[in-house]
Amino acid sequence: MPATLRPYGLLKEYVAQQSEVSVASGRTIRETLLELGIPVDIVALVTVNDVPQSKDYLLQDGDTVRLLAVIGGG
Amino acid sequence: MNGYGGNILRVDLSTGKITRQPTPADMAKNYLGGRGFGAYFLFTEVPAKADPLGLENKLIISSGPLSGLMVPGAGKCDFTTKSPLTGGYASASLGGHFTAEMKYAGIDSLILEGISPKPVYLFIDDEQVELRDASAMWGKGAITLEKELKEQFGEEFQIAVIGPGGENGVAFAHINHDFGRQAGRGGVGTVMGAKKVKAIVLRGTKQIPVADVQLYRESSMALFKACKEADMLKEWQRYGTTIVTSWCDEVGALPTRNFSAGSFEDGKTLYGPVMREQIVITDKGCFGCPSPCGKYSKVGRYKSHVEGPEYETIGMLGSNLGISDIQDVAQANLLCDELGIDTISTGSVIGWAMECYEKGILTKEDTGGLELKFGNVPATFTLIEKIARREGLGKLLSQGVKKAAQQVGKGSEKFAIHVKGMEQSAYATHYATAMLLAYMTCDVGAHHNRAWAITYDLQVGRERVAEDKVARVIWLQNFRPMFDVLGACRLQWVELGIDRNLYVPVLEAITGVHRTWEDLEKIGERIWNLNRLYWKREIEDFDRSWDLPSPRFYQEPPKTGVTAGKITNYEDVQTLLDMYYEQRGWSHEGLPTNDTLARLDLAALAN
Repeated sequence: MPATLRPYGLLKEYVAQQSEVSVASGRTIRETLLELGIPVDIVALVTVNDVPQSKDYLLQDGDTVRLLAVIGGG
Repeated sequence: MNGYGGNILRVDLSTGKITRQPTPADMAKNYLGGRGFGAYFLFTEVPAKADPLGLENKLIISSGPLSGLMVPGAGKCDFTTKSPLTGGYASASLGGHFTAEMKYAGIDSLILEGISPKPVYLFIDDEQVELRDASAMWGKGAITLEKELKEQFGEEFQIAVIGPGGENGVAFAHINHDFGRQAGRGGVGTVMGAKKVKAIVLRGTKQIPVADVQLYRESSMALFKACKEADMLKEWQRYGTTIVTSWCDEVGALPTRNFSAGSFEDGKTLYGPVMREQIVITDKGCFGCPSPCGKYSKVGRYKSHVEGPEYETIGMLGSNLGISDIQDVAQANLLCDELGIDTISTGSVIGWAMECYEKGILTKEDTGGLELKFGNVPATFTLIEKIARREGLGKLLSQGVKKAAQQVGKGSEKFAIHVKGMEQSAYATHYATAMLLAYMTCDVGAHHNRAWAITYDLQVGRERVAEDKVARVIWLQNFRPMFDVLGACRLQWVELGIDRNLYVPVLEAITGVHRTWEDLEKIGERIWNLNRLYWKREIEDFDRSWDLPSPRFYQEPPKTGVTAGKITNYEDVQTLLDMYYEQRGWSHEGLPTNDTLARLDLAALAN
């Protein structure tokens, strides 16, 4: 079972407004973002199965990934 | 007037006279409330060139039309004054519950005038308003005193307090409330201390008239629903402002060792999830907040508790000082809060002093024996105390980084990180031109709360110098501070991304006046220009040079980190400013033109 990516807020603009994207496991979050065309720099927080992870985290089968952008900050 | 407390309460501290006047309807129409009232009173009532610590300055404390009502985060209070730090316009926003209580006491603006002959506290219980002796309180820590006052008067009373920093005249003293909330920047606490007002103890029990109760119920419920259903709610509530610490480090925006770089090699131990795990024991919210972002922490190493640290404090008292342990940052935060001095400015002056020490510009003789190197935690704690007491090196630093650097010289002015005399807050802007412009043109000095534009920089190209970036900064400056005018928190829009149009029917239901965001941004633009006129009036040689950033951001590319080797060049800094003035309808020297003043109904005030 592949991993599931959930981009939120302005990140949805980069994936044609999809709320959920199925992605291959065995790659890092960073590699996955690059492949999807989501600018790595505007992703502020990544959680995998509700645990914060860095963008170097290697995706496993069945992982659910939340991607959050910093919308307005400060 | 629907939505308003109804009164302007003036307290003449020199004579003890207390006056209550009805809030003028046309002032409410044109300036709305909160920060708008503050700007208007400052411009029209504080005489030109008044001494910020003297008799003629006023501290104007204002709630807004949304304050205290059933609106998410309706707990914001504005404190406006002439700044002892910059000599220009100061406005600081306080969360918690104070503003709501003001409304219930029937107060839209509370104006402290003159200077009391001896230390006093202001007691307000609905119609009862008294100045009472505060000599026994003078010298007490802000958090300690608030606890005592709560115990004395009861939980229903809301308390605002200055610490020893405000009493002693530290130029960046703040006002504390609800233990861990502050009106932080620009020296609003310094002015309160100069007036010899130690605390305000406040209770109100009146109702606030609302124009359309049915629409009020429906539209405010829609706002709360949007907050509760927001995608970001879970993480925002869990981490609060610390959600950005790791991100700033990754994109080179985390101030490191006096802004010499934008990423910190030891930064990971400061990140939000680490902080949550190590010290946070509960979330804390302000009045009516559905997304409590405050963090209450137990700091095991020091056996203490503190509200915080927020991102800004983590940046300025952590990475900016080369300090990597969140417990040390939390303790530094507590010291600043208890002593009553702004953590952002404190972190900046200490960072500057550390760089001076490492460069041999300040020696052990100057530091009173402190080994003031980056990363020295005990020296940081000692220096915070010295700043609050204005002793030794602390006396120099207590004036703010601009004056300290002017006095020390030896090239240290080049790394005094400020604009207009206000120390820059915690976003390193070597390589983010919209955010750089935001800091250059913010109306209180280098603060991030007006236009937070760094995501836009990253979306459209960080080094780009283009009209769309300038337009973005201006839009954010006209729009975001309107929350401070309305008296409610902006973070529900900012962090949860709720639709701002949900505020329109609520505001209409409360006040009975229909206003779109276009109408509100026009008021925002009016206030912005009024504050620009204020700077021009108060500062002898005020011109575009006052909008320049620290030379660090156009002369010194970071040597390390994500933005190593990157810098904005000076020509681009000037181009940004030219574009900004033109889009604002200002002259080449950065002053509103007559056409702009006429369009914003400011011509009469300007003349």
